Amino acid sequence: MKARVRILLVEDSASDAALLQESLAETGLEAFEFSHVENWADALQSMGQQPPFDVLLLDLSLPDISGRETFVRARAEAPHLPIVVLTGQANEADGLEAVRQGIQDYLVKGQADARQIVRVIRYAIERKRVEDALKHTEDALRESERQLIQANQDLERRVAERTASLEETINDLEDFSHSITHDLRAPLRAIRSFAEILRSECGECGRPEAQEHIDRIVTAASRMDKLIQDVLQYSRVARSQMRLVPVDAEKLLRGIIETYPSFQPPQVEIQIKGPLPRVLGNEAALTQCFSNLLGNAIKFVAPGTRPEVRIWAEQVNAEAGRENAENGTTPCAPGSAPLLIVRLWFADNGVGIPKEAQERIFRMFQRLDRSYDGTGVGLTVVRKAIEKMGGRVGLESEPGSGSRFWLELKAAAKAVG
Amino acid sequence: MSEITILYVEDEETDMMLLQHVFTRVGITNLLKTVKDGKEAKDYLAGNAPFADRQVHPLPGLLLLDLNLPFWSGLEVLSWIREQPQLRWLPVVIFTSSRRPDDIVKSYEAGANGYLVKPNSLADLTTMVQSLRDFWLLQNQLPEPLIAEGARYSAAA
Repeated sequence: MKARVRILLVEDSASDAALLQESLAETGLEAFEFSHVENWADALQSMGQQPPFDVLLLDLSLPDISGRETFVRARAEAPHLPIVVLTGQANEADGLEAVRQGIQDYLVKGQADARQIVRVIRYAIERKRVEDALKHTEDALRESERQLIQANQDLERRVAERTASLEETINDLEDFSHSITHDLRAPLRAIRSFAEILRSECGECGRPEAQEHIDRIVTAASRMDKLIQDVLQYSRVARSQMRLVPVDAEKLLRGIIETYPSFQPPQVEIQIKGPLPRVLGNEAALTQCFSNLLGNAIKFVAPGTRPEVRIWAEQVNAEAGRENAENGTTPCAPGSAPLLIVRLWFADNGVGIPKEAQERIFRMFQRLDRSYDGTGVGLTVVRKAIEKMGGRVGLESEPGSGSRFWLELKAAAKAVG
Repeated sequence: MSEITILYVEDEETDMMLLQHVFTRVGITNLLKTVKDGKEAKDYLAGNAPFADRQVHPLPGLLLLDLNLPFWSGLEVLSWIREQPQLRWLPVVIFTSSRRPDDIVKSYEAGANGYLVKPNSLADLTTMVQSLRDFWLLQNQLPEPLIAEGARYSAAA
C-alpha cells in the first residue's frame, strides 16, 4: 500500500485551500494528507512537526510576511523540506525567483489543473531528494578531500620528523666515531710509546725474553690501532654521500704508485696497460679502493717472490650488463653515447685464493692466512665504496696462480675508443 | 739554542710525559712548561697566580695547544689569546689527536699558526719534535714585541 503524501498547505484564503484539497483528492492519483494553516506564524510552528511533511505548498500572499521574504525564510527554516510556492498571475516573477533561491517549483494559481499540480508536487519531492543526495555526495567528497589534505600534511610532518631524527642519529654516529678516534686511540698511543721507551732504555736489563715481550706489546698496540683506523675508514665510506664525477683512472693510479715507494721498483713491478678510460666515480673513494687492491696484490705473495701487478681495462656494454637492457637494443640518437660499463682488472702473481673463500674475503675481519699482516677490512671497504658508486667487484683466482680482481664502474661520457 | 720557552697545554698526563721525554731525547734545552687545562693556560699567559713570577714562568715564544681540554676548549683559549694585545702574535700550534676537517678549519679560523696530529709511534713523535725545534726554535723569526718580552725575562733570569 502506498504511503500517504503529507502536505503542509500554507494559504490565507480558506476557500482556495479547500478547493485545492478537493481537486487533488478527485484526481485519485495519490493519497494526500493535508495540514492547513493560514499565516506565516502558524506555518513556522508546523514546519518543525514530526514526522516531517513530505512537501510544503506555500502561498506567497500571506498577511504577516512579504512575498519574497516568505520563500527565503521557509527555505532557511526547513532546509530539507521540498517546497512549491503558489503565486498570483500578476506575481509570476516571484515564482521564478523562488526557484533560483532553491525552491523546487512554483504554481500560478488558476493556471494549472489538478493533475498538473499533482505532477508538480511529485517532481518537487523527487527533485529535492536528488538535490539532497547530490549535496550529501558533495559534502562527503569535500570531507574526503579535507581528510586527504590532512593525511598529506600528517605524512609530511612525519617524514620531516623522521628525517630530523635520522639526521640526529647520523650526527650521533659522527660524534661516536670521533670519540672512538680520540678516546680509544689515546691509551693505545700511550701503551705503544711507553713500551718503546722501555725497549730503548731497558733493553739490557732483565731477562733476554723481556725484549721480546716488549716487542709483542708494541705490535699488539699497533695492530689494535690499525683495526680502529680501518673500521673507522669503513664507517666513513659506508656513511658518505658520494658525488660521482668523471675520474681519470689511469692518472689516479699513476699518482698513487708515485706516492708510495712500496709500489715502485725494484721491490715490485706494477704495469698499467693503458689507456684506461675515464670512469664515473668519487676520487677519494677510488683512491682508497686502488690503494687497498694494490696493497693486497703486493702483500699476499709467496715468500721470496717479487710482486708483479698488471692493470688493464675492458669495456662492457650495458646490454650485456645487468641493467638497462632496453638501452642496448634501442639505436642511440646521434650524439648520445650508449651507457658503458668499464671493468678494471688488477692481476697479481700472488698466492691466490681458493674458490670456496672468494665470497668470504669481502666480509669484515675475514683473513685467510694469519701469516700475513692485516686487519681483514681492506676488501670490505673496496666493495662498499664500489657499490656506493653504483658498481660491483669480483675476482678470478686459483691457489698458486695469482688473483685477478676486477671493479666495474660506469664509463664517463667521453669514453676511450 | 735560543731562550724561547714552550708552553704545552695538555690534560692527558701520559701525552705530557711522552712529549717531555722526547724533548729531552731530542736535546731541547728550552724550558718546556706544561699546564693541564684552558683555565691554567689563561692564568699562565696572563701572569695570574700561581704563575705571577715571570722568572719561574716566562712568557712562551711557542704554545702547543691540545683541542680537547676541560673547562675551556683549545679553540676558546686560542680565541682569547688572539684578543690579548700582547699575545696576538704568539705562535700557536695545535697538537691534537683529531683529524676532523671541521676542527682543522676552526683552528685556523681562530688564528692557529699550525696544526699537528699526535703521532702514534715514538719514532714519528721524535721526528715531529725535531721539525718543531728546527722550524719554530731555530729558523723562525719572532716579531719584535714577543722577543722584547722574552728577552726581558731571560735578562732578569
